[in-house]
Amino acid sequence: MWGDALAGLVAGFTNLTWQSAVLIVLGSVLLYLAISRKIEPLLLVPIGFGIILGNLPLSALSAHEEGGIINLLYKAGILTELLPALLFIGLGAMIDFGPLLANPTMLIFGAAGQFGIFLTLFLALALGFSREHAVSISIIGAMDGPTAIYVSSKFARELLPAISIAAYSYMALVPIVQPPIMRALTTKKERSIVMAYGQKKVSQRVKILFPLVAGIFAMLIAPMGAPLMGMLMLGNLMKESGVVERLANVSETTMINIVTLFLGLTIGASMLGSNFLRWQTILIFILGFLAISLDTVTGVLLGKLMRVLTKGKINPLVGAAGTSAFPMSSRVVQKEGQKANPRSFLLWHAVGANTGGQLGSVVAASVMLAVMAAMGITPTP
Amino acid sequence: MANFDFGLIMMVSGMGATLVVLYLITWLIKALDKLFPFKEEKKEESS
Repeated sequence: MWGDALAGLVAGFTNLTWQSAVLIVLGSVLLYLAISRKIEPLLLVPIGFGIILGNLPLSALSAHEEGGIINLLYKAGILTELLPALLFIGLGAMIDFGPLLANPTMLIFGAAGQFGIFLTLFLALALGFSREHAVSISIIGAMDGPTAIYVSSKFARELLPAISIAAYSYMALVPIVQPPIMRALTTKKERSIVMAYGQKKVSQRVKILFPLVAGIFAMLIAPMGAPLMGMLMLGNLMKESGVVERLANVSETTMINIVTLFLGLTIGASMLGSNFLRWQTILIFILGFLAISLDTVTGVLLGKLMRVLTKGKINPLVGAAGTSAFPMSSRVVQKEGQKANPRSFLLWHAVGANTGGQLGSVVAASVMLAVMAAMGITPTP
Repeated sequence: MANFDFGLIMMVSGMGATLVVLYLITWLIKALDKLFPFKEEKKEESS
């Protein structure tokens, strides 16, 4: 009897595998990065703690443990794709499309900034990933955490933790990843170009109609992406309409905070040693890094082309802001531009390209989903 | 269908459609701006 009692008290220790121990340490590292280094704390704290909870033996706190509290959140929020969709309402309520509406040409950079997704898709296929997995991994290049979660929860649930952590981590590393690429692909003369600052004003009516009209248009083209595009535009419409301030405020504060907490916790708790500690995970991180780097390359190269076509009016650095990493990318562009020429003020143009990138990433994901559906590739049941 | 073919179709149709959609949205924005241009608010004269 004494033996049974003692065995019950040490069961947690005796059932601890080395894989679980490694993941607990990894979760602790993420917490250190979040709390001490202030790297994406809103996400890494719930993800890091979720990893620890999910890997504690016999705790029933893994996202896959039937009936556990985190499993309930996982089934209700991740498997239904509800949480990423709700997150998009909050994101839409936070986005200001004003700079983009004043200078819609910047939207072309939002398109170029998605090219890395498709190039990485090829690489992932070449490395032996299945089509569903390759698409889910390549979407890291969208530099949009909720989009990456949405697509991978449809097609590659077992890779969801690795893809989510890669997507959010690389977004935080944009100030480190982008500048060397920007400098390598441009000359100092190009980086020094001063772009005319003429902040055109946009009427409030246009700001209200844009999410409605552009949203309907994009959703008709790619209905599979409607949950993302629709929620994004709903959030933005609430913000710009000015008549539902309470809803807009709660969307961009309370709701987005709650969803971020649940999302991080469930993703972290779904990361088990058995499915995370594989060579595949390292490949996912490498491919994710490549996707983001290629986005920057294609954006800057398009910027160089635009410089030629506009006879020197466009600074190629602005192309690097055509990603969804808002506002990091636009700040990086501003900083690099000022390093080359202190009189250069690229922020306004970069913000336009950056919000174009946010829109571009959702369009790119929606289009990919539509093409896959047309090819008969269906989501995991 | 071979993986290379799949990747090529995804790239061409995916990137192509993304470019076209965003290009059309650019024109949509310009059309909206032409229909509803920004007007300075008239200052009301105090009575």
